[in-house]
Amino acid sequence: MDRHRNKATVLSILCMGLGQLYNRQFIKGLLFLIFEVFGVTYLINNLPRALWGIVTLGDTPRMLVKGKWVDGDHSIFILISSLITLLFLVVFIIVYVMNVRDARKVGHERELGKRANNFRQSIRYVLDYKFAVAFLSIPAIGILFFTIMPIIFMVLLAFTNYSAPKHIPPAMLVDWVGFGTFRNLLALKTWSHTFYGVLTWTIIWAILSTITTYFGGMLVALLINQKGIRFKGVWRTILILPYAIPQIISLLVMRNLFNGQFGPVNQYLQYFGLGGLPWLTDEFWARVTVILVNMWVGIPVSMILIMGVLTTIPRDMYEAAEVDGASGFQKFKIVTLPMILFTTAPTLIMQFAGNINNFNMIFLLTGGDPVKGDYQYAGATDLLVTWLYKLTLTQNKYNMASAVGIIIFLIIASFSIYNYRRTASFKEEDMIQ
Amino acid sequence: MKLKKLLVLVAAVSLMISITACGSKTNNANSATNAPAATNATESNTPATDEPAADDTAIVPEDGAELFIWESKDEMAFTNEIVKQFEEKYGVKVKVEELAPPDQVGRLTTDGPSGLAADVLIIPHDHLGNAATSGLLLANDVFAEETTKNNTESSIVASTYDGTLYGYPRAAETTALFYNKSLLPEPPKSFDDVIAFAKTYNDVKNKKYALMWETGNMYFNYPFIASSGGYLFGNNGTNKDDMGLANDGAIEGLKVYQSLVDILPIKSGDINPDIKRGLFNSGDVAMDINGPWELAGYKEALGDNLGVAPVPTVAGKTAITFSGMKIYVVNSFTKYPNAAKLFANFASDKNAQLLLNEKVGSIPTNLEALESDQIKNDPFVSGFAEQAKNSQPMPSIPEMSNVWAPVNAALPEIWNNKADPKTAMEKAIKQITDLNNGAAE
Repeated sequence: MDRHRNKATVLSILCMGLGQLYNRQFIKGLLFLIFEVFGVTYLINNLPRALWGIVTLGDTPRMLVKGKWVDGDHSIFILISSLITLLFLVVFIIVYVMNVRDARKVGHERELGKRANNFRQSIRYVLDYKFAVAFLSIPAIGILFFTIMPIIFMVLLAFTNYSAPKHIPPAMLVDWVGFGTFRNLLALKTWSHTFYGVLTWTIIWAILSTITTYFGGMLVALLINQKGIRFKGVWRTILILPYAIPQIISLLVMRNLFNGQFGPVNQYLQYFGLGGLPWLTDEFWARVTVILVNMWVGIPVSMILIMGVLTTIPRDMYEAAEVDGASGFQKFKIVTLPMILFTTAPTLIMQFAGNINNFNMIFLLTGGDPVKGDYQYAGATDLLVTWLYKLTLTQNKYNMASAVGIIIFLIIASFSIYNYRRTASFKEEDMIQ
Repeated sequence: MKLKKLLVLVAAVSLMISITACGSKTNNANSATNAPAATNATESNTPATDEPAADDTAIVPEDGAELFIWESKDEMAFTNEIVKQFEEKYGVKVKVEELAPPDQVGRLTTDGPSGLAADVLIIPHDHLGNAATSGLLLANDVFAEETTKNNTESSIVASTYDGTLYGYPRAAETTALFYNKSLLPEPPKSFDDVIAFAKTYNDVKNKKYALMWETGNMYFNYPFIASSGGYLFGNNGTNKDDMGLANDGAIEGLKVYQSLVDILPIKSGDINPDIKRGLFNSGDVAMDINGPWELAGYKEALGDNLGVAPVPTVAGKTAITFSGMKIYVVNSFTKYPNAAKLFANFASDKNAQLLLNEKVGSIPTNLEALESDQIKNDPFVSGFAEQAKNSQPMPSIPEMSNVWAPVNAALPEIWNNKADPKTAMEKAIKQITDLNNGAAE
């Protein structure tokens, strides 16, 4: 008794919509048919070229013929349009599978003696039971073409030789080089030395900047919350100011403040008889400076966060601690600190991941300087992300930049996931005891 | 005592404000562009011209043509004027967008093929090779005759790549010595003179220095490489495999460079254009090696006390500076090639160059403009023109873009860390050759 089911399935496999027509769902069947016709014509016209394009990335560059430019293949455009076609193919296949499953399901229902839904009933069914899926499919298509496609494109760049000066379209072609770019980055002396140096500093920076701002913020928050401190609001306002000034202004000001020769900071130190420090010109001190200035910028955020947490800690816990004869420090260690850490751990990880990519801070304050002679387009305070910026915008080494970008992503993703899964707030919903 | 400290605090804060408040006019060092009559320009690079063209203005703008151009912020006064004149003459609307010349080729690379880039660009000539080899430019064919005839030879060399004329030269730039006449009536002849003067003048405590320039930037330090025989690329900047950054001549010059730390004991990273400009304007710094883009501001600050002279001699040899041209080029993806070529030609002819000189104090490349009274009677521009006679155009081969970063990293090594010039430069050369030979691909 599975005639309907199998017939509908086979018909649907032959051509989208036939199974639905067989099931007497004419409008639905027509819609599928129209989509099939449209999809097949599009794919017949574009798929062969897309497959050729994604494999070869073009084979005739733009050339001068008798003084006139004749357009050839622009490898990068070919790559993008091929991707679009292939993604459409994926969508087409998904719809195809849906259509076959739908035909089979309705056929099965007919065998059980139910009448197939007419179009209005189908719409009702979708709105009532599949509302979310139906409405999310539209943004999902958008995300596929406007978010996922560019990401795939950028990832693929890492496996090409798209870079100045020899492989910049339109007059030159770009080719696949497999893992050559990564090999150069990790093993070729000129690149690997810079990469490991910048990577090491990036990790050090991320750890130090996160810890300093977090604990600095905690210290300030606890101080302001002490009993007996007056004008709490005023202190809070003063301390939040650095955060309120746009970084692009405050950091450029800082850049001049810390100028080793003419900056007020060193002028001051000299006035008090101390030698000035090479704040921004010495490798070590430049790194110290960015951490210090980052504290100035970042502490207010942590302070506000932790102040919020402090208000949620129940008073009776402290009272119980006092009854047990705990000192101030013990109260902090046993009650306050665990509570704060428990609540803010996810934020802390977010801050850490954010600091790995803290572009503003480095770019505006030092621009990655002081320069290092043995680095490839990078300076002593350059993070991976600012180095990537230089590679892309000033040197047009798009393939290297893409490879570095992928590595940054892997680092941040693995750190974040690992850490997040280990935090208490992820593991258990209830309170720590 | 308390009051005194408070005063110091107020002073420090106000200094900080004054330092940061003065405009962040971008220093277009790398975009350097340049100077007439480079003595050592070669014939080999100039395009061959056949018989004189009969009528070279035979083109008319396309119907419904609209142009879009990129221009740097500093020259907007000129651009708005020239665009108005062009619209009146040809009836073609021109849209102007701000973009620094050194960034234009990069933007053209990404936006050109998709039809979003400007039709006419103004670029430093050292970016020409990259743009031309990528097939992004239309050759200057219609006006080739006119351009070649009317402009200095070095500007034509700079506008030419691989035997084809692409550019329409608009202005020349080179570095020269700005000096404050109230502090030294006569400009120094050699760097020994500079050192002698510094011994009497320098006062580190009060931020008084005889001479200040950007010691970490190759553009300004080229005299220390080239005057005594160093060079970037051999065969007049066309042979990428022959680098003379570390030959004996270059090292001799760089030793002089290194010895100047005694009279300018400042880390190269601490000298930025804004600070330097402030100190020169206030009369604390007596001399500055800089380009003509600073002229207008310095004239305003110092008035009659401003002098422009050639760069002092290095190790007894005449200083050879970098020269660069700012040239118009036409985007090969333009929808209106005729209108674009007409604009590029119109905005770089004699009248346009004189207008530019009037608005921003540039050095013309047009021969007639150079001979005009407006230029002859301008002591500043003629000072630059004097230096320009001893300048070399920056190489325009694509490999030039690999040179800046390594050399700009080597110079601070030599200046700040007392590194041996030879070692530092050899390291830079190694990096440059690695990049040239595709280590970065």
